[in-house]
Amino acid sequence: MNKILNNSRLFFHGALLSYIALFHWLRPMTYLATKVVSPLFQILFFTLLGMYATGRENAHFYIIGNAIQVAALSGIYGVTFSISGDRWEGTLAYLFGTPANRLVLFVGRAFMHVIDGMFGIVIGLTWGALLLRLDLSKTDPVALALTIFITTLSTSGMGLLLGCMSLLTRNVMFINNTVYFLLLVFAGVNIPVSSLPLWMQPLSYALPMTRGIAAARAIIAGESLKSVAPLLNSELLLGGVYIFAGYLFFRWFEYQAKRRGTLEVM
Amino acid sequence: MIWRRFKENARVVLAAFELTVKQSFTDSFVLFGILVQPLIIAILGIWMLKERGGDYGIFVVVGSGMTGLWTNLVFMSGNSITEERWTGTLEFLVAQPTPIQWVIFGKNLASVLQSLLSMLGSYVLAALIFNLSLEMAHPFYFAISLILGVISFICFGLVIAPVFVMNPSVQRWQNSMEYPIYILCGFLFPIALLPGWTTPLSYLLSPYWAAHALHGASSGTLTFSEFALSWFMMLLFSAIYLVISQKLFRVMLRKARIDATLIGQ
Repeated sequence: MNKILNNSRLFFHGALLSYIALFHWLRPMTYLATKVVSPLFQILFFTLLGMYATGRENAHFYIIGNAIQVAALSGIYGVTFSISGDRWEGTLAYLFGTPANRLVLFVGRAFMHVIDGMFGIVIGLTWGALLLRLDLSKTDPVALALTIFITTLSTSGMGLLLGCMSLLTRNVMFINNTVYFLLLVFAGVNIPVSSLPLWMQPLSYALPMTRGIAAARAIIAGESLKSVAPLLNSELLLGGVYIFAGYLFFRWFEYQAKRRGTLEVM
Repeated sequence: MIWRRFKENARVVLAAFELTVKQSFTDSFVLFGILVQPLIIAILGIWMLKERGGDYGIFVVVGSGMTGLWTNLVFMSGNSITEERWTGTLEFLVAQPTPIQWVIFGKNLASVLQSLLSMLGSYVLAALIFNLSLEMAHPFYFAISLILGVISFICFGLVIAPVFVMNPSVQRWQNSMEYPIYILCGFLFPIALLPGWTTPLSYLLSPYWAAHALHGASSGTLTFSEFALSWFMMLLFSAIYLVISQKLFRVMLRKARIDATLIGQ
């Protein structure tokens, strides 16, 4: 019982403190620019491009795709910086010196970003409804909320894996930016997966968001939670695979860093 | 005397140009902005506009190249003074006899010319990977439009660099400055798709006139008088930006000396 309590404390304190540490240097205006206004223009740009390409009647496809993809701002950038921040700020050595449960410590880094990412999607969909007349009247709000949660969770799983890579390289921004933009191409955000060349489609299905975006589109079109359950189950499973792979990578990094004495090498 | 001064300034411009190019090619963030992001936007543009049909290849090449130009202008030119301040070299640049404007001009020249690789990369991608037909309707007009576009981008960079360094609150919006310009300047779709009230905003932006002329020259959709108007507008805005930048540089240096903020974060 005591162990569970300790791990819960570690999880929530770690989650909160890493989030505060990440954003302490940001002012509310920066948050507003990055997390509220910037997604609006991304949604507008790709929706207008999509409307120019395929007609106004398909606007909802691009609005929903980009509104969900906005979760990658938190899931990819936020989570990655939370992990890499420990190394660059010099606190990783202290963390590895504690007996704390590594899995709880590791997964806790993503917790606040999942909440933040869900909030980002809600803002994105709100922009879509207010400015681009996205019709949400047939939507089951509970099903959509669950879809948003699962998609953000799986994206954060990928963020945890990328975060571990950021412990090995200085080019963390290059990796994050590339992955963020590749999601725009391959995760069914702006191009239906079925339109991609056949050999690329497995890549799409190996990425988080692909199924979550498809599920969100179906739910907003009026489908029930039951009909999108297979998509959500697969998305959740994929997220779990990413988290597990990230955790293994994290432990491997700890082992190698301790063995070689490279924990504080920049 | 004037010739001698010009030669001295030109030497500084070239030195700043050379150093910026060398630094840029070791900076993965810059390489992402010049090559990776525009190529991904080109891939998106090609696959999305395929549905529309027609001769869209050259339109996407020009449009995605323009996105690369703009993104790099915002981040590289926009930070051209700020990064000197962060690294502690701004003091020396201000103290040396050549006006700092020439140094920043050289840096912006390097940034904008490097950014043309975005267009070249998109061209190679569209031609070799997607096998698209990429015929240029008016190569000569395209060359003139590109040269004037580069000049106007450099001049715009001379405005945003001092604005960013003097107003950190404006710089916080840097990440949000990419897509609005892609939208308002019609890089990948015509501005006719936008509400009418945004059209005057587009007309006030030199990247709009650059994109208008480059798309027109590549697709052959403009008359000579329309080209002439675009070229005139680019020159006009370049002149306006230069006048504004001179004033901004004076204000910035005076403020930095009074507040003792030539070094800092």
